[in-house]
Amino acid sequence: MSDTVARAAPARPRSKAHAAFFDNLGKNNPVFVQILGICSTLAVTNVVANTVVMCLGLIWATAMSNLSVSILRKWIPPRVRMIVETLIIAVWVIIVDIALRAWLPDISRQLGPYVGLIITNCIVMGRTEAYGLANPPGLSFIDGVSAGLGYSFVLLMIAVVRELMGSGTLLGLRVLGKWWTPWSIMVMAPSAFFLLAIVIWVVRGKIMKEEKK
Amino acid sequence: MNKRVSLVLFTIAVTVVFIAPISFAYLLTRPIVALNEEVYLKRAVLAAAGLEVPASNADAKALFDGRVEALPAPAAATGPAPEPVYRVNDASGAAAGWVITRTGPGLWGDITAVVGFAADRQRLSGLEFLKQSETPGLGARIGERWFKEQFRGKRGPFSTVGEGEPAKENEFDAITGATITSGAVKAIVNAVVSAAGSLPKEGTP
Repeated sequence: MSDTVARAAPARPRSKAHAAFFDNLGKNNPVFVQILGICSTLAVTNVVANTVVMCLGLIWATAMSNLSVSILRKWIPPRVRMIVETLIIAVWVIIVDIALRAWLPDISRQLGPYVGLIITNCIVMGRTEAYGLANPPGLSFIDGVSAGLGYSFVLLMIAVVRELMGSGTLLGLRVLGKWWTPWSIMVMAPSAFFLLAIVIWVVRGKIMKEEKK
Repeated sequence: MNKRVSLVLFTIAVTVVFIAPISFAYLLTRPIVALNEEVYLKRAVLAAAGLEVPASNADAKALFDGRVEALPAPAAATGPAPEPVYRVNDASGAAAGWVITRTGPGLWGDITAVVGFAADRQRLSGLEFLKQSETPGLGARIGERWFKEQFRGKRGPFSTVGEGEPAKENEFDAITGATITSGAVKAIVNAVVSAAGSLPKEGTP
């Protein structure tokens, strides 16, 4: 592990880690560029608290899976690589599920099956396939964390708008007064479609176009 | 051939290596999870009975074991399996209340309610929900304190008030935007209210 990092390091000292980290937040963002992880964007963003737990779970799962796959990448036969990746991802996610059940039973009950569904989040599998299999462990870990962060900040943006407009609260605390009539549509799945579409449109149509120029 | 065998062996080895710690963690936390589940039910029964629930798991369990008695479930001839009924005793051992659990259909899945009655079997001493999978932010708000508290001290059968404050003692404030969930709660609570009249007579003060 350490020698691969050492070998990679002298060539271009900081730019590789830098790219691994920042690409996933911006020009290679899993949600608004690769359009991955959309299912959970719809499912868990109507209450900010659930979104936060989901995001932490995903950052953990992507980082640890990417790290493990990267460590094993020289021994994994190409033909069974997907089975092994799925297995590794499932292990890291189930650890989260077991920990929540034992020590945070209330949150575990609220999230229900969503934690287990991190296993099927395309972002995790996508990063292990595209990055973990081809890069040293240190970089893979950074890539996993940043892919999780890139997913998280988009989800949190949507969740804040949905909870604020749908319930008038943030993290369960009342922010908007009695005068605010909650928009029921905001706590239901269709609103996540609209908001996600708006985010993608604004980011790709406005911000990314300007960067290209 | 040799390559295939090593492929299978590798897959088996990786599976064992990764599954072993997970199984170990599962076994290690199993008693904690079981206690969580047990105390979750006991807390709901105590809260529905109108008792103050202690913060620690051990204290809540001790209070339940000291004050609450599970009654033998009445044998149901037809329909769904009978659900537990509890008798709540006061400090001297006399019956001070009754708690009935009941499951009914909600919008997305079953709702399990825990309904507490005072000794007269008519006035509600509290309402809790053990299980519900209603829409977060809408129907799931039946789990919020204000919704559950409004039943305390009231007498069924209930009807809902759409807007404004419930005035009569058999009315409760429905959740706007969650008509089906509110109706489901009404149906479950009213079924329990009518079942409370036929509780076993022995042990009444």
